[in-house]
Amino acid sequence: MNASNEHKDNPVGAVMVVGAGIGGIQASLDLAESGFRVYLVDEESAIGGSMAQLDKTFPTNDCSMCIISPKLVEVGRHLNIDILSYAEIEKLEGSAGNFTVQVKQKPRFVDLDKCTGCGDCAEVCPVEIQNEFDAGLINRKAVYKRYPQAIPNAFAIDKRGTSPCKDACPAGIHVQGYVALIAQSKFKEALALIRKNNPLPAICGRICTHPCETACTRGKIDEPVNIMGLKRFVTDWEYGQEEPEIPSVEEQRDEKIGIVGSGPAGLSAAFYLALEGYQVTVFEALPEPGGMLRWGIPDYRLPGSILDKDIQYIQKLGVEIITDTLIGPGHSIDALFKEGFKAVFLSVGAQKSMRLKIAGEDLQGVVHGVDYLKEINAGKDLPLGDRVAVIGGGNVAIDVVRTALRKGSKEAFIIYRRSRNEMPALDEEIIEAEEEGVKINYLMAPQRIIGIDGRVSGMECIRMELGEPDESGRQRPVPIEGSQITIDVDSVVPAIGQSIDLSFLPEKQDWNISARGNLTVDPVTFATSVPRVFAGGDMISGPATVVEAVGAGREAAISISRFLNGFDLSEGRGTKLPVAEFNPGEITKEPRRNPLKTPFSERIKSFQEVQQALTEEKSIAEAKRCLDCGVCSECLQCVEACLAKAVYHDMLEKQITVNVGSIILAPGFSLTDPNIREEYGYKHYQNVVTSLEFERILSASGPYQGHVKRPSDLTDPERIAWIQCAGSRDISYGKGYCSSVCCMYATKEAIIAKEHAAQVKPTIFYMDIRAHGKGFDTYYERARDEYGVRYIRCQVSKIVERPKSKNLMITYISEENKVVEEEFDLIILSMGMSPSLNSRMLADKLDIALDHYGFCQTDPLQPTATSRPGIYVCGAFEAPKDIPETVSQASGASAAASEIVAEARGTLVRTEKFPPERDIAGEDPKIGVFVCHCGINIGGIVDVPAVKEYARTLPGVSYVDENLYTCSQDTQTKMKEIIQEHGLNRVVVASCSPRTHEPLFQATIREAGLNRYLFEMANIRDQCSWVHMDKKNEATEKAKDLVRMAVASAGFLVPLQEQTLPVNKKALVIGGGASGATSALGLANQGFDVLLLEKEKQLGGNLHLLHYTIDNTDVQTYMHSLIEQVRINPSIQVILDGVIVDTTGFKGNFKTGIMSGPGMAYRQIEHGVTIIATGGEEYKPKEYLYGEDKRVVTQQELEEIIAFKRFDLRNTKTVVMIQCVGSRNDEHPYCSRLCCSAAIKNALKIKALDPEINIYILYRDIRTYGLLEDYYTKARGAGIIFIRYDLERKPEVSIEQGALKISVYDPALGEQVNMHVQLLVLSTAIIPRENDELSTLMKLQRTREGFFLEAHMKLRPVDFATDGIFLCGLAHSPKPLPESLSQAAAAVSRACTLLSHDSITVGGMVAVVDQEKCAACLNCVRVCPYNVPFINENSVAQIDAAQCQGCGSCTAECPGKAIQLMQATDKQILAKAGALFDICKN
Amino acid sequence: MKVSFFPGCSLEGTAREYGESIDSVCRGLGIELEELKDWTCCGASSAHSTNEFLSIALPARNLARAERMKQDLITPCAACFSRLRTTAEALTGSKKQGVKIPFNNDISVLHILEFLLKNEFTEKIQEKIKKPLTGLKAVSYYGCLLARPPKITKEEHWEDPKGLDALMTRLGAESIYWPYKTECCGGSLVLTNLEIEHRLVGRILDMAVEAEADCIVTACPLCQSNIDTREEEIGAARGMTYDLPIFYFTELMGLAFGSKDTDTWFKRHIIDPRPLLQSKGLM
Repeated sequence: MNASNEHKDNPVGAVMVVGAGIGGIQASLDLAESGFRVYLVDEESAIGGSMAQLDKTFPTNDCSMCIISPKLVEVGRHLNIDILSYAEIEKLEGSAGNFTVQVKQKPRFVDLDKCTGCGDCAEVCPVEIQNEFDAGLINRKAVYKRYPQAIPNAFAIDKRGTSPCKDACPAGIHVQGYVALIAQSKFKEALALIRKNNPLPAICGRICTHPCETACTRGKIDEPVNIMGLKRFVTDWEYGQEEPEIPSVEEQRDEKIGIVGSGPAGLSAAFYLALEGYQVTVFEALPEPGGMLRWGIPDYRLPGSILDKDIQYIQKLGVEIITDTLIGPGHSIDALFKEGFKAVFLSVGAQKSMRLKIAGEDLQGVVHGVDYLKEINAGKDLPLGDRVAVIGGGNVAIDVVRTALRKGSKEAFIIYRRSRNEMPALDEEIIEAEEEGVKINYLMAPQRIIGIDGRVSGMECIRMELGEPDESGRQRPVPIEGSQITIDVDSVVPAIGQSIDLSFLPEKQDWNISARGNLTVDPVTFATSVPRVFAGGDMISGPATVVEAVGAGREAAISISRFLNGFDLSEGRGTKLPVAEFNPGEITKEPRRNPLKTPFSERIKSFQEVQQALTEEKSIAEAKRCLDCGVCSECLQCVEACLAKAVYHDMLEKQITVNVGSIILAPGFSLTDPNIREEYGYKHYQNVVTSLEFERILSASGPYQGHVKRPSDLTDPERIAWIQCAGSRDISYGKGYCSSVCCMYATKEAIIAKEHAAQVKPTIFYMDIRAHGKGFDTYYERARDEYGVRYIRCQVSKIVERPKSKNLMITYISEENKVVEEEFDLIILSMGMSPSLNSRMLADKLDIALDHYGFCQTDPLQPTATSRPGIYVCGAFEAPKDIPETVSQASGASAAASEIVAEARGTLVRTEKFPPERDIAGEDPKIGVFVCHCGINIGGIVDVPAVKEYARTLPGVSYVDENLYTCSQDTQTKMKEIIQEHGLNRVVVASCSPRTHEPLFQATIREAGLNRYLFEMANIRDQCSWVHMDKKNEATEKAKDLVRMAVASAGFLVPLQEQTLPVNKKALVIGGGASGATSALGLANQGFDVLLLEKEKQLGGNLHLLHYTIDNTDVQTYMHSLIEQVRINPSIQVILDGVIVDTTGFKGNFKTGIMSGPGMAYRQIEHGVTIIATGGEEYKPKEYLYGEDKRVVTQQELEEIIAFKRFDLRNTKTVVMIQCVGSRNDEHPYCSRLCCSAAIKNALKIKALDPEINIYILYRDIRTYGLLEDYYTKARGAGIIFIRYDLERKPEVSIEQGALKISVYDPALGEQVNMHVQLLVLSTAIIPRENDELSTLMKLQRTREGFFLEAHMKLRPVDFATDGIFLCGLAHSPKPLPESLSQAAAAVSRACTLLSHDSITVGGMVAVVDQEKCAACLNCVRVCPYNVPFINENSVAQIDAAQCQGCGSCTAECPGKAIQLMQATDKQILAKAGALFDICKN
Repeated sequence: MKVSFFPGCSLEGTAREYGESIDSVCRGLGIELEELKDWTCCGASSAHSTNEFLSIALPARNLARAERMKQDLITPCAACFSRLRTTAEALTGSKKQGVKIPFNNDISVLHILEFLLKNEFTEKIQEKIKKPLTGLKAVSYYGCLLARPPKITKEEHWEDPKGLDALMTRLGAESIYWPYKTECCGGSLVLTNLEIEHRLVGRILDMAVEAEADCIVTACPLCQSNIDTREEEIGAARGMTYDLPIFYFTELMGLAFGSKDTDTWFKRHIIDPRPLLQSKGLM
């Protein structure tokens, strides 16, 4: 590796892994197990990546989730893996060996330490959005867990930002939240949410200026949601109930707080202070409370009775309102402090009317707007005469003019100096006024009021025009010279604003007063310059809105409370999430629902309320128009529902800085956008789905519970078609590469669909079937021959949907060259892999090079190294690839990443420390039973107290308890105390699933001093409350049964002793080719001794036959350097010309006998691990005249001819290559994976030598998977001609008059083609090297083709089923050099997980043989899938604890009952069964 | 605003109503169409399949004249549009295809649909609508050359063009999504292979019927006449009746704008659209 040496002296023993799909998970586990601290960063809320979304995996048809979830749990519980979910790298500094990484973590709004994953929050969440995990086929809630098995097992809240409505609300009301709750008919909850920010909902539901509606995103599409109408609806709904529920005050406080003024600001402050428990007194100068709300707003907009209801609500909370009491010189603020008030809030409003300052303003008949409204609201009469001129354009002017009409004036009109556009009054107010007959004279201003006998008789006005904008941004009105007119009026009502009267303030104090005469306060805390005095409302802002005053009052209340508690007044205030901006895309327009109004003919006769409330039905429908801009609506229902108190809506983004030695990038891929091929109609045709959607459709946990249905009508589709290469192998869309996995996953989906529903007739339209992996071709053939999957070789150019049936038509050219139009019920687009946008951004931040497609650039000889030292890559970000290659590359990357920090191994790891185990020998069972409520998951169905009481009656039980969440940290602490206090010696937990929680509880009892095996679990959630939700009684009975069984079994639990064995830190590598040598070197660089054994007399293996790679890398130079590195490495001992003759032992402690040298000298070596890299070789063909005519050669031979410049350029006119010679036939039924690219590599070489040479490649399917496809494209561009042949019509080779003749049927032409060639090149199979003896000796399994068989095709690609033995290279399966190198590194990484430990712990849940009973019948030897039991020197079966995997197969098979599996002994199982059936008999 | 107009041969004959409705609509929108002086054949029908030089030279002559007028050139026919655009592309850069006519590609060549879909007309069109086409269920038919090939048409969604659909929605009609937006009508085989032409037109008609459309809207005189003239005989051959009116989109714009001339346009159609429009209360 070319790591920089800069930090070699100071490497950091930690690695960061970016991306937590299967690649990132594997790398993390390898590293953590090898003594490094791992930071696993993922942008999602949970790890698992794309694999978690898949249904089954090919070619084994394993359930994807079933095989990945144990890994998820392992990562989640690993002491040395820190998962940083919802996170991304922000910045990187430093260099290889010592990086400093800054990570940005999105707020999750749920505390990971507290959340138990119960899901009660999601139950109550009112917001639904598309579930991206289910490919958008169904919805999820805004608070969500990515999928049921997610790790971290915790919920997260999805927020796009503050919704525009909430952002616009001066009181900060959770607008989207209460709208969402109304949509769900949760009216009470909606109102409670409004009252968190506004105690005057009935008032604001009528007269608010609703800036929320102005900001509403819906308004940009059709009309804003009628938010104010909804608020009014819920308050009317509540006030229509018998008695509104008053919130409870948690703690009463003694402090008295005085509030001056009972307008909206004062009332709001009073409410929130009272809610905190303070003693609040409001002083009001006038005879009734309410301020401007009462005196300034006419009843037809806000009836007094409504105002009273909101005020009474506040009073019921304990607020005292003292009316007719003026705070001022007579009863000063100081006096209040002397009376014991601890703080004072001033909110006296802006009461003084502004004057027009024109002649005649003091005439009789001029009355100012607010004064007029106050008189009328006080019930007095103030006749204005027949003609009333109201001056001004605000809401007060409109209120006055409409009131005047109601009071009998015949003609009331408005004079306003600007135009309608600038008018500050609310639009609906203006419209209503106009409906009632009000005339508005725009662009007119009074100049003088004319009077006769001291009484108004007329007014002189002047016309205006709009000039330049003034400081308010509105155009300034400018008088038009000479345009004066005089109008007759009986009265004039100026309504041009109010000013503030601060004369009541004590003069001696140091008040901070602005130039405009307002009292100045801190804009966040509302504190005045005088200690203990706060102020808000119009007296601060000047005349403003009710909702602003409410907001100010609430903020001041927070400040006062903080002040009285001695907290900082401003800390953490004034920050919020940025506003959520989004484009809702195509949505259905739907008109806004407006309330009915009293007809204007009626309403002008009285002060009856004009607007009526929305009906319940309309309100719900209107609320559903909300677009959920913020995603989470902040309705706070989750906060209420979460019994574990884990939800924090005010969480902020976190910046985390960590120090690591190296970085592995595993960000995976994103599905190629299905919309790039519009001719497939993806968005428009409902029954055209992507392969990912179909995976979810097939999945049992998917949207249709695994039933094969089609989206348009949820019927069962019969004719299903797959279209391959949808967005792959297509240069016109910039996707020239092959996505490598689609042929196989489509085949798998077809098989699984057929298995799910027998009626399914699958058809796959493809270009080449690329079944190039281990076992893939057999799988494909099974699909075709056994499952009847129809494969049609054709690129589909268009899909047509039948409008009515929504069936789909495909037109294609059949194999017989006929145009066929065929109808299908469902079409699946086999979408390819693309580098995600995020991974491109990541590359940019880390400054690593990408290739022309955006995949990470690597070197074929260093397949996991990025362009930046210290940063490595694995998985689909490197190139499209499937799971086993990803896993093996992940291990490879982890070897590379750990190699450069190998010195720091173990320096940053955490270790567990446990107290000594308590000896329970001789004690009677004292069982503690803990029954879990799991929030309401279990407790809501099963009667947990009853189960607990029942458990008390069971034999051996000495303690019972019930917990809200047994897994929560505080409960775990409590459990430990109880175990110790009560001397318990067995523990039973009745809760969720042992799959996720057993290790946790075992650790807990171990921490309490008990052996971890003294534990038993009863699954009363997944297997009881969840499946019997609607049968509570029966579920309770079943829970009792399950607990009884667990207790019965627990009585027989015994402590199991685990044994510690030392690990021999030496490795044996068998095979000295590219893979073996690379492994040996890797292990040596990790600090371990290696013995490298080679059968031949020299190292290098097949490398000797390779000269150049497809991208023209010089292989020979590489080989010599590799051999030299091995040779000089002091940790590597090379034995040439040697073979293995015997072997014994198990992981960590093997003993192997070797014979080597000319004399075959024997020696035995001891080692901890073994790596098998015995390689493969070219098949020497028997067909096509090979060996008979020297013009017929293999690709390997051709490469040599070219490399040694022996190619006969002069006489060669035509070269033919035949693919699949010895591959994909009965003898070798597999694809040899590298021959297509080898043929293209050599063909391009020849073309480079002489472009005139004709080259024909006769193939069955061209399998240039992944980025190799570029070379296939290049080859066609270079004029190389590809002719397809079938197995039934193989090419024929003959000699005709000395000439070599090839004859082949060309399906494109439909004719036989004959060629005379000078060179015939056979692309022959790769077969394993002779390995019979080795596999028998070491008891290693092989495939029927003779390649070694790994422990698991998908997830353990380089492990053998026998622990401690690993494999790599061609011994595993045919593969090109870079893949062998990556696998060799993977074997190193896997080996290090063992070698880095000083000792291993064995035993526990293993099979134990009772030698007395053993009859040596060999049943156990035969049945064990891991080849563990053997008959020892005493002629009885022996099972080494170090090798036993605890599967129990031998236990079940043993006829003499000589074998017992610990923790699942016969006694225990019989006890369980007995406990169940004894009761059943009763 | 003023633009040059290349009417093409159809507007003199089979597509007179297209030309008249274009006139009417453009006048309404304040667009002055100045007919290209001394225009000649665009070379679509036979030149481009028989003589490569002519296929460039014929449109080149028209382009050169248009360039002298220093204003953008608008054409109503998809075939003319395709030839003119292709030629404009071909004459740019080094390859002049042996054509010596001076042309600097200083003007834009636009199809009338593309032109009227420009943002600057959106509001004006909205204002002009007097009688929204409520209740009219239309499928938009773009045919071959309006959207493809994309390197000539510069259409972003060449497999699924959306402009005409959007315009229909704006006019108040219900634009039905259907899969045959860009299917071939066989117009070029009218004279040579009637059998294929019948089959292709028949497919289009069947799909429009299946989509429950009342009518097909086109922006090409060849598509319009090709389908309109064949409905009866295809129906007769299959023993059924097709009565789908085939509109020029400008006719429907004129209808929505409240033009008084619609009757003169519609009575020239072979399938008379008036009964349909009357039944929908649109006439």
